[in-house]
Amino acid sequence: MIGLISYLSFFLTMAGIMAIITLGLNLQWGYTGLFNGGIVAFFGAGAYGTMILGSGAEPDQFGGFDLPWLVAVAGGILFAAALAWVVGVLTLRLKHDYLAISTFGVAVALESLVRNSQWLTGGARGLRGFPRPFEELVGDTFTYGLVFLAIVLVVLALVWWGIERLVHSPFGRALRAIREDETAARALGKNPARLRLWSLVIGSAIMGAGGALYVSYTAFISPQDLLPVLTFQVWAMLIVGGAGNNRGAVLGAVLIWGVWTLSGFALTRLAPDSMQLDAGSIQYILIGTLIVGMLLWRPEGLLPERISQKPTKMADKAVLEVKQ
Amino acid sequence: MMKRLLLGLGGAIALSIGMQAAPAMAQDCSVDVGTVYPTSVDWGQPIAQTALWVGDMINEAGGVDGCEVNMILRDDQNDSRVGVDAARALVDLDAVQLLIGTVSSGISIPILTSVTAPAGVMQMSCCSSSTRLTEIAASGEANGLWFRTFATADVQAAVAAMLAQDGGIESITVVFKNDDWGQDIGRIAAEAFEAVGITVHESIAINDAQPSYRAEATQALRDQPEALYLALYPTEGISFVREWIGLGGTSTMIGANSLKSDDFRTAVGLDNLGSFVGTDTSSPRVASADAFVEAYTEQFDGPPSGPGLANSFDAAAIALLAYHAAGSDATGADIAAKVPAVTDPEGEAIPATVDGFARAMDVLSGGGTVSYQGATGAVTFDANGNVSAPAVSWVFAEAGPSEERYISLEEVATFMGSMN
Repeated sequence: MIGLISYLSFFLTMAGIMAIITLGLNLQWGYTGLFNGGIVAFFGAGAYGTMILGSGAEPDQFGGFDLPWLVAVAGGILFAAALAWVVGVLTLRLKHDYLAISTFGVAVALESLVRNSQWLTGGARGLRGFPRPFEELVGDTFTYGLVFLAIVLVVLALVWWGIERLVHSPFGRALRAIREDETAARALGKNPARLRLWSLVIGSAIMGAGGALYVSYTAFISPQDLLPVLTFQVWAMLIVGGAGNNRGAVLGAVLIWGVWTLSGFALTRLAPDSMQLDAGSIQYILIGTLIVGMLLWRPEGLLPERISQKPTKMADKAVLEVKQ
Repeated sequence: MMKRLLLGLGGAIALSIGMQAAPAMAQDCSVDVGTVYPTSVDWGQPIAQTALWVGDMINEAGGVDGCEVNMILRDDQNDSRVGVDAARALVDLDAVQLLIGTVSSGISIPILTSVTAPAGVMQMSCCSSSTRLTEIAASGEANGLWFRTFATADVQAAVAAMLAQDGGIESITVVFKNDDWGQDIGRIAAEAFEAVGITVHESIAINDAQPSYRAEATQALRDQPEALYLALYPTEGISFVREWIGLGGTSTMIGANSLKSDDFRTAVGLDNLGSFVGTDTSSPRVASADAFVEAYTEQFDGPPSGPGLANSFDAAAIALLAYHAAGSDATGADIAAKVPAVTDPEGEAIPATVDGFARAMDVLSGGGTVSYQGATGAVTFDANGNVSAPAVSWVFAEAGPSEERYISLEEVATFMGSMN
């Protein structure tokens, strides 16, 4: 029983971190229409930033600032945001597939940079982390799993609340306006370039927070964690869950992560002995089939975007302003 | 010959003991052992298959402490998050006390630091090469639960320095594959060369899958080194060495065991490899090495080819024998504590066969110790779970790689001591 709870808390921790990243993508793609193909770069920036700031000194290794956990995490998030800002200024004039390709390129470049800058990132050896936050206070690993889950859920709730506030504000409506028709938005006096930059930076900072939480848990990061598969996973989560709907994004994250991992567990239980060796490959086929099936059956996602038809107070005011 | 005869005799005795003992062991209990390997990756599957095969052999020999071994295999997809999840499920849901895996250090490390070490589960890897693992073990973070049968880069790098010194080489350029293994061995080799007074001009990283390595070869040529040290895999090794020879570079080369391949020999040409000497951790000089190749060939209709198979075999065998010695209800720490009993150089020599396993279990059950003669030799582990092994130097000949010199464990240790 304790084992089951322990595994479930771990599963939800990972799913929660994935959900945070998916919410970041939802702000970018779901609400603004930005095709971010380099999610893993911002995840990695947050992760490495946190690691370099928070870990202890090591010989021949940059960093080792040994800063308190919260400061390190904040630094990691800022680093992800800064990376997004630079990338945004350079590439946001690009749209759709062009933006996707250039952000994908950024992710590949970052992986290569991290793999080769031994003095900065430990190279292929990766970076060792710091003691996990509050672990010493908690003591036993079982309780600690629950404590860390609580931390992740708090961050998830904060991110959810923040994005909900954001997208229901005039700023959020402006984002949706440029998603639907940029020319019309510009005609209304909105500055699409600036709004898109903001959306990219905030969304990427959230992805960076996901990376920061991830390394806080594993206490280790290496270029192995920066492979493009993470980008594809998060996209699958958002598309299956429903772009433009935060509930959909979280549901998609839990569902896809569940399928991704529990299918492996189920196969070891259900597949005959002779097929155990191929279970890994069968698992890939299952995951792919499920995603394709979902796209065919429900292309708008499980919980599609709902645009409120009821004018809000703010909208009323806006209408009045336009009329005047 | 005499040794083989004795081993055969030992095996026959063991077999008869095993046969008598087998009915007494009613296999109504079972022991779950977690195995995490990248089964969905082409080179990962044979590694996993070898581990499962050892489980079958142990069962044939009577099982762990009389209980049937149930190897639960999970795929890590060569992805750290998936690997950690798989390990977590094995530890939490299946309550395994022993986890075998995995290949990539980038996955083995987070499994060790966030799953097995905190949960007190023993972890034994076949193929993780990163020196980070040594650091983690040395810091005490692994609680002595970490082992690997992959010989770390230290031995090969030291032997390379030894060979360079013997060859009277005074300056060298290091060329390494740009991954965790290559970066490690490249760095350690450069340190080893410098420690014995050889000038290291440069260390040049070789990235995978480049169409040409002319730029790197030109860079290496600039310093006119007397020799090259190559820590490369055959694919990029062939391209690089061809460019290097073509540009008029020296043919005096020292290579890591990764270049011990027929592809490399034929593609570069034996004419150009006259002054090439390679290093390797020893091919074991015990009958069990041949026994492994024979048994593998019989089991899988072909000789073992591909990286890590012998290491995977030994990782599973040593871990399961230690599990047997510790008893079926042992914890991870209990199993880890019994590993020295399986790899005791003073113990009875045990071949890596079903009969050998049966004999080993018999001795271990009686509280004795054995010296497991595995597919990678009679390995022992140091305090950080690293395997120490004797070394060999080898050259390319008409018939393939041929061994030139055997460097015993003591000789390697003395030389490594003299470097510091």
